[in-house]
Amino acid sequence: MGSDHTHGQDFPSLPANPIPMLDRKLLKSLERVVGRRNVLTQPADVLVYSYDSSTARGMPDAAVLPAATQEVSAILKLCSQHKIPFVARGAGTNLSGGAAPVRGGLVIGLSRMSKVLSIDPANQIAVVQPGVVNLQFQAMVAPHGLQFCPDPASQKVSTIGGNIAENAGGPHCLKYGVTTNHVLGLTVVLPSGEVRQFGSKALDPPGYDLVGLFVGSEGTFGIATEMTLRLRPLPEGTQVVVGIFDSLQASGEAVSRIIAQGIVAAALEIMDRSTIEAVEASFPSGLPMDAEAFLLIELDGLKEALDARAERCAQICREAGARSVEIGKAPADRDRLWAARKSAFGATARISPAMLVNDATVPRTRIPEVLRQMQDIERKHGLRIAKVFHAGDGNLHSNILYDRAHPEELERAKAASVDIFHLCAGVGGTITGEHGVGAEKPEYMRLIYSPDDLAAQRKLKDLFDPTGIANPGKVLPPAKPEPHMAGAHA
Amino acid sequence: MTGISGALRKLGDVVGEDHLLTATAAVAPYAVDGQPPLAVAFPGSAEEVAALLGAAAEAKLSVMARGAGSHLYLGSPPEPIGLIAVLTRLNQVVEYDAGDLTVTAQAGMSVGALQGVGGGHGQMFPLDPPGPDSATLGGIVSANLAGPMRMRHGSARDLVIGMRVALSTGEIIKTGGRTVKNVAGYDLGKLFVGSLGSAGMILEVTARLTPLPEAEAAMAAALSPQEAADAAAWVVSSRLEPSACEVLNHTAAEKLGPALPVATEPGKQVILVGLSGEGVAIERQERDIRARIPSSARLDAGVVRDVWRGARSLAYPGNGAVLLRASVPISSLHRMVDAVSALDGWTAVARAGDGLVFASPPLEAEPAEVLRHLSALRSRAASLGGHTVLESASVEMKRRFGVWGEMANADLMRELKRSYDPAGILGCGRFGV
Repeated sequence: MGSDHTHGQDFPSLPANPIPMLDRKLLKSLERVVGRRNVLTQPADVLVYSYDSSTARGMPDAAVLPAATQEVSAILKLCSQHKIPFVARGAGTNLSGGAAPVRGGLVIGLSRMSKVLSIDPANQIAVVQPGVVNLQFQAMVAPHGLQFCPDPASQKVSTIGGNIAENAGGPHCLKYGVTTNHVLGLTVVLPSGEVRQFGSKALDPPGYDLVGLFVGSEGTFGIATEMTLRLRPLPEGTQVVVGIFDSLQASGEAVSRIIAQGIVAAALEIMDRSTIEAVEASFPSGLPMDAEAFLLIELDGLKEALDARAERCAQICREAGARSVEIGKAPADRDRLWAARKSAFGATARISPAMLVNDATVPRTRIPEVLRQMQDIERKHGLRIAKVFHAGDGNLHSNILYDRAHPEELERAKAASVDIFHLCAGVGGTITGEHGVGAEKPEYMRLIYSPDDLAAQRKLKDLFDPTGIANPGKVLPPAKPEPHMAGAHA
Repeated sequence: MTGISGALRKLGDVVGEDHLLTATAAVAPYAVDGQPPLAVAFPGSAEEVAALLGAAAEAKLSVMARGAGSHLYLGSPPEPIGLIAVLTRLNQVVEYDAGDLTVTAQAGMSVGALQGVGGGHGQMFPLDPPGPDSATLGGIVSANLAGPMRMRHGSARDLVIGMRVALSTGEIIKTGGRTVKNVAGYDLGKLFVGSLGSAGMILEVTARLTPLPEAEAAMAAALSPQEAADAAAWVVSSRLEPSACEVLNHTAAEKLGPALPVATEPGKQVILVGLSGEGVAIERQERDIRARIPSSARLDAGVVRDVWRGARSLAYPGNGAVLLRASVPISSLHRMVDAVSALDGWTAVARAGDGLVFASPPLEAEPAEVLRHLSALRSRAASLGGHTVLESASVEMKRRFGVWGEMANADLMRELKRSYDPAGILGCGRFGV
């Protein structure tokens, strides 16, 4: 249910695994596959593999660092023979516990598989390994006039493998779609260790869409070790428009009108007052500290069209009650504003002792109403919720601030997060727009899916991972609800 | 036989006698590849569809869904068909709020009607499949059919964000939802897009919409094959924002007729670039295209839509004509177009942004010769890193040539199929899995 930012000084003490899963013989086998130095078993070495950027924790029995598809295959064959759970890990930026080994077993760190294998501008395709960092990859394809569209805020560190596992979004998926819309093919190591090629460099290969089923499966179907990505030409120009509002609802209204008037923006991002304060405290960017909302509109496309489009957006902001509106012309403006936006998460984590992250998503027309009710939730639980969201697609990041020193605050924060799930599910939304279900939200899947829906999803899991060793404890809830979710609808 | 008549009676109980056809003469028009079904049912609700599937599974009666019947030529020749469920009574908009820029509609609604829903609000459903006036939403999603606009807006795989689906095990399930971003759970909807009803029967679809463009235009030029290849590669890799980019060989261009403002001749190819958006953006793109392709001309505003409709129909001629769809990496597109154009009288319609080539022989061509050429084209596509699907042909030709070609991961796909359709009754074998 959200994330817990603790500044690293107060990790919960993790019990040593009560039943060590790995005997000496198996460790030797793993060492034979990847080399001795790439099998970590000392508590001090594996501790960093026990968590990701969420509240989920679990001590792995070992961390293994393969360098090739065949090594991943050999590792998974061993896991499969010995019924050892495994969790694939990129940069550990997961916000839902997807990379935390909550059931122990092996963490398979993919940082050594970080090669860009080919960039093929003529076909607008690149083939990469999972450990490639998103932003570094963007920098490699940009000289060819190309981009990989998914741009999660974590892109400075997050890896393509993780982006694919989570079906990552990002601000620009408003216009360009999410990760699954940009993946053509995958080399997948199934939990049995078998290596498969899904998809191809050409569109629509015959048969079921195995690539589409695999993307977003959060590491529970196996490990993708090579990915064929579809690239797109970079836009000719970009322009940002900034609206400063004295009311959060008014900024949401401006977004609704921009969409209603048929303006296709590349991104529509809102930060509320708490988030603005956090950003200014850590990364001063010149945002007005007394504003209730900051709306960042990015337009891209042909230069000739941008001026008029920007002026229309500015006009809509003024009509919606913006205190000030600015059209940013210089690339430096754009870079500064995006740096501010993309720092929002880290900055908020710095001003509060801890925070729970919720990324529930609603149909766009329900945003104003949900924002109003979220204020009620803040009051009810006596907590601040810093809101930063991809307003254009209804994806609300509600960062619930609390203090670990007061355990009851964590309880209130959790209760607030659950209220937000209910609120968003109740208006036809979903419990997660881009962070994933992971270890934290399986129970809340019941708010949006019926037992039949979940059973149908489980068939996929059973097919790809019949022994249940791939990232166990993630995505799907157990058949029987926890007591507080008994009777949850959908 | 009592088993069958008992089963048919049960089907009648589900939908009512008025909505079930069983008489030989009555079911004959519903034949698929010459194969009539035992019964045709017209369910009036999602629950009736689920009940039909339940009854069919119990009686081991094979079932296929049908919309308007516009694209029934797709797929392998069916195994004996027990029941065809015609979903055209399920033709309502379930939910549409313009501000959401999404729409939820029942599977039996025509794409044309769906366009009308958003049109009043300046929005469109950005799929332009062949025969959109009659083709139903459920049908085109099941077949993953798209058109020239796919280059800009994607296919059903990209545009569909949620579904309700009836399974042959009797449940009605939901996949995805109504938000454009949603990573809650597995992306199960992908199983049903493009799988010709072999895993479940689509009842309802939620899709993204997009604003109607302010203006539309198109540019055309008749070029040598090399020039056409270069021009298409330039359009696709440029920073222009074309809504479509098609390459037609001479035979295809001739069929498109006088609406084209350029004179084609044997050995030439026509490139057709769709432009949409703000007026200033279109003018700018027109200038760039004229500078790069001096012989290009702008189509009269009045014929732009007709030309695209024509291009879609050329890609999917229907009426039993032979149609091979090749999909290759985009830089190899022109090689595929050239391979088709080297065959006497064959049309080639290519989508440069997506690497798709639609190839059809002349109607009078000898079947044996057509088969030989199809094999050569299939090998050619494979050697370019792509594949081919025989979208339409006579039953005999489909059988002899094989509709789907080589299918990678066929074992895994069969397991998937078994898992979702354990009775094995859905789709009547048309999907090839």
